[in-house]
Amino acid sequence: MPLTPPQLEALRALLDRLIPEDEFPGALGAGTDKFILQLLKHACADEAPVIAESLTQLNAEAVGRHDLPFGKLPIAAQDALISELEHNRTTTPWPAAFPASEFINRLIDLAAEGFYADPTNGGNRDATSWRMVGYDPLLPAHPSAP
Amino acid sequence: MSATASNYDVIIIGAGLGGGIAAGVLAEAGQRVLLLERGRDLRYRDIPGDHLRHHRLSLYGDNTTYHPTGHPRVFVDPQGRSRTVFPHEADYHNNALTVGGGARIWGMQAWRFHPDDFRMASRYGTPVGSSLADWPISYADLAPFYERAEHEIGVAGDHDTTDYAPRNRAFPLPAVPATPTGAWLARGAAKLGWNAFTPPLAVNTKPYLGRNACVQCRQCIGFACPTDARNGSHNTLLPRALATGRCTLITRAHVARVLTDASGRAYGVEYFAPTTPDSAQTERRKVHAATIILAGGAIETARLLLLSASAQHPRGLGNHSDHVGRHLQGHYYPVVSGLLPAGFENPNLGPGVSIATTQFNHGNPGIIGGAMLANDFVKLPIIFWRSHLPPELPRWGLANKKAMRELYLRGIDLRGPVQEIPSPDSRVTLDPQIRDQFGLPVARLSGTTHPETVRTAEFIRARAEDWLRAAGAERVWSSPMDLRLSASQHQAGTARLATDPSDGVTDPYGRVHGHDNLWVCDGSLNVTNGGFNPALTIMALAFRAATKIASKS
Repeated sequence: MPLTPPQLEALRALLDRLIPEDEFPGALGAGTDKFILQLLKHACADEAPVIAESLTQLNAEAVGRHDLPFGKLPIAAQDALISELEHNRTTTPWPAAFPASEFINRLIDLAAEGFYADPTNGGNRDATSWRMVGYDPLLPAHPSAP
Repeated sequence: MSATASNYDVIIIGAGLGGGIAAGVLAEAGQRVLLLERGRDLRYRDIPGDHLRHHRLSLYGDNTTYHPTGHPRVFVDPQGRSRTVFPHEADYHNNALTVGGGARIWGMQAWRFHPDDFRMASRYGTPVGSSLADWPISYADLAPFYERAEHEIGVAGDHDTTDYAPRNRAFPLPAVPATPTGAWLARGAAKLGWNAFTPPLAVNTKPYLGRNACVQCRQCIGFACPTDARNGSHNTLLPRALATGRCTLITRAHVARVLTDASGRAYGVEYFAPTTPDSAQTERRKVHAATIILAGGAIETARLLLLSASAQHPRGLGNHSDHVGRHLQGHYYPVVSGLLPAGFENPNLGPGVSIATTQFNHGNPGIIGGAMLANDFVKLPIIFWRSHLPPELPRWGLANKKAMRELYLRGIDLRGPVQEIPSPDSRVTLDPQIRDQFGLPVARLSGTTHPETVRTAEFIRARAEDWLRAAGAERVWSSPMDLRLSASQHQAGTARLATDPSDGVTDPYGRVHGHDNLWVCDGSLNVTNGGFNPALTIMALAFRAATKIASKS
């Protein structure tokens, strides 16, 4: 089930705050959004509907507070809302089976998994996060193992 | 059903560390060996370097399992709720399902047990509710086979400082190189008056037995080794077995049952295997041999003994006194994290484990047993992010990203395999409902370790904190341990050795009581699991059993 344009916009805006750009690219610059979309299509397809629903709810929560969807909020308001949701301080009805804190925590995990994992997973383009932390797997160019 | 005429003297089920060693010893002794392995014979390129799907972090799969859904297990939590689990989930208590088994991706710590690990009940008494018992053999019985394993598999270590257990011969390979973090920890241990030395690792620190040396890459534990410097039976005894021309390896072979006659003698096995090596189609086969060896690990070996029930043995083979599948144990691992002082130059090279202490394996006041403590393997960024950032840090935002940048190379953690106090209620049974892809009942894991295990683990956790603080860590933190089933690290104990058949499943060599040609060659035999990684003990037991089998034929 592909995300709707408003859901996708909310996802990208959220990722941009979870791992923001500074001297180094953030989640969006490293392709972490694409990593998550791939995961929701395949390995985590079971989770996709509830994540999609929660992204809609994130927009509803933002509209309820500020009359703007999440992606259109100023950065400070986005960060404040994420903190509120981490503590389940909501003003709109979130699904009981997947409360706001679980949604935020899941997205925090997914963002880090994409951003800090191997570039082949798709969310750490050009090993940007590895260069940032000082990690190189140092694998030999020509493995001698059979 | 396709029936294979008996071209074999021995059938070995499982090509992990124990099975591979048994195959090598027996094939070289002239026996015709059939080695059946449920996994594939994976090459280096077949084991992906995926940081989210490997054997230390298997979030969405792992890098060896080829059939992620065909062989579930059922896990019962301490509250009694059961659920179906798959290989990449923690509650599956997985081992790498491939030729070579866990040794394809292991951390290579190749410890001998402490002499008192074989006599835990004599030393400490048996706590109420536990099944803590002595082994029917002593350290001295196993010592020659430890030595053989060290030389034929290839272990790097420092003979002079590895002195917690008597040794007669130096290691064949020089110890892993000292590291700056190891030297820093050594100074901390010296301040505390503790012993500390370079731990033994089954890694080629120089070329050995025709293979290359370790290049100290940073993608080590959980992955395949790029230079084949990680030693196990898959690159030593198994190739030796195959080179004799007397060992046939069949992969993707799932044994359904061991066949026994009315006298209890095992005469063959039934198994499922692909019709041709690469086929998706499987067929059921029957094959006979004079000797059968089970080496599928503590969970699958117990399951197979139970699946092989017959009219004469309605509760399963070797299960005359209800010990099969019980005493399931592994290792509790207290993990203590800290930060190296700012400005510490950490080259962060593999394998990473470079210093250990055996100060707390025994003799801890009021505590049963203990654990070896060591520093950890080179750490992936995603694992550092998940488990080793200071707990009060925000989990997202610029502060988190900045902490990753500044602290990744300052992370240090200590951990140790706590000798568990076994419980008879921690066990493998057959699930009454869930079946595998061949229609066979799957393993059901239930119960917990004995509460004394948690007490020992908490003691060890406190000592690890002492060590990091004495070394000068900028800060130190860890989490308390809780009571649970433990088998994902180092599964053991489900076919325990015992002289008296009423006390266990196997005789002091590993032969199943009541079935004199049926043997076990894996961690199932371990009465207790030591305060050390158990692989070298599993290997030594396999050398000893296989030598015994060869001498009788």
